[in-house]
Parts: sequence; structure tokens; C-alpha cells
Amino acid sequence: MTIGPTIAGGLKLVPEEDEDWLILLEIANDGDSDLSQRLATLMDEDSMWEDIVVPELEQEFSKQRLDVMVEVVKAKGEEAEAIHIDKESAETWYGALNQARLAIESKYTFGPRELISPGEIEDPEARSAYFRNDFYCTIQSLLLRYVMDD
Amino acid sequence: MKAVEAPVRKSETQIREKTEKPWLVVVLDDPVNLMEYVSRVLIRIFGFSKEKADELMRAVHQQGRTIVWTGGREKGEMYVNQLHSAQLTATLEKAE
Repeated sequence: MTIGPTIAGGLKLVPEEDEDWLILLEIANDGDSDLSQRLATLMDEDSMWEDIVVPELEQEFSKQRLDVMVEVVKAKGEEAEAIHIDKESAETWYGALNQARLAIESKYTFGPRELISPGEIEDPEARSAYFRNDFYCTIQSLLLRYVMDD
Repeated sequence: MKAVEAPVRKSETQIREKTEKPWLVVVLDDPVNLMEYVSRVLIRIFGFSKEKADELMRAVHQQGRTIVWTGGREKGEMYVNQLHSAQLTATLEKAE
């Protein structure tokens, strides 16, 4: 897959193989519905976080995952050459990628990237998740650098 | 004779806020959120300068957690809500 900035101030993802499409579809699949609940664990009961904030955030996070999924499925269905992320959709993409990475970290607890040696991850599923996490992080960095800069 | 101004009565909320210990918005470190992103979020939510946001972001990263705001409970909850919406780990604590 080739990824690069566009003149219009966006980011272009160009999938070249079937595996590239699969990994883009995995962004929404890697994210889970527990994030708002995990964030709420630090709040005390008086705050009513569980009743008020958690459902709202779950809805917001779910929409991010759905929007990215729809965009990837649509582009694949239309056999589009590339997926364009413009300024308007950058926050949604960043959020969905972040959810995926937070869910992977919650499941595998890799810890800080600089302390991980992927060759030492024995479980194939965990190793695959590690590389997806790395790939998502690369897209996030490019979004921050080329699209979300103010 | 000089007029004496009537004392302004403070509302119960104002008095409570003055006498109660303040609430602290605390951001916690995690291995996922990118440092540049954390700074951006602090600027957007609290209106910090880039320098201030970077300083707080580094404190979160190095110390594992840092206080980013102090004040009343209601406003603190609003800020934590916004931080959670940005997917940062944050909480509200009462000052000791």
C-alpha cells in the first residue's frame, strides 16, 4: 500500500493488493465497544458517568468505526484506485485508528513501542495485531503531520 | 455623608466553591496516544499555548500522570468528558 499527502491537504491511501484492503477493513474490526466503559473506570459513582457520559461516547466512537468501515467497503466495491482522507474526515479516521490501537493494547498489553521487539512475540495472532497497530500508528502520524496540522 | 455600599450577597454555589477544596482534572499516560496528539487535544480543550501544552504532555509521559486543570466539579467533569471524547485517559479528583 502506498500512502502519501495530497496537494489539497489530505492523505491518499492506495491499496495495491487484497491484503491492503483487508487491513483497512480491520481498522473498524479492531476497535471494540468497550472503550467508553474503560475510560469511565476512573470516575467516581457520584459523577453518574456510567449513565450519562458512557452511552454518549459509545455512540460517538461507534459512528467513527462505522464511517471508516463504510468508506473502505464503498471504495473496495467501486474498485476505487485510492481512498482520500480530507480535513473534514481526518478526525474520524484518526479516532477510528486510535480506537483500534487502544483495543489492541487493551487485549495484548504490548506497552511502549520502543520497548517491544516484534520478533519475540510468539503468538501469531498477537504478532499480527502488533504489526496492524504499527501500521495504524503510521497513518495517524501522517494524518497529524499533513492533514490535521493547524 | 458618604454612601455605604450594601454588601453583595454571594450565592450558595459561590460560597461552596470558595470554601470547598478544588477538583483536579488529571491526565494519565498510556502507550497508545501519540505525544503530538495529546498536546493538540490540550490546546483545543483548555486553550493552552503550544509551549504549555507540550510541557504538560511531557509531564504526563514522564510522570505517568499530571494535573492539567483545577477548579469546580461541574466544569471539571465537562473537561474530563471532552478528554474522554478525544480518547485520552483522564479523571477528576478532589484536591487533598
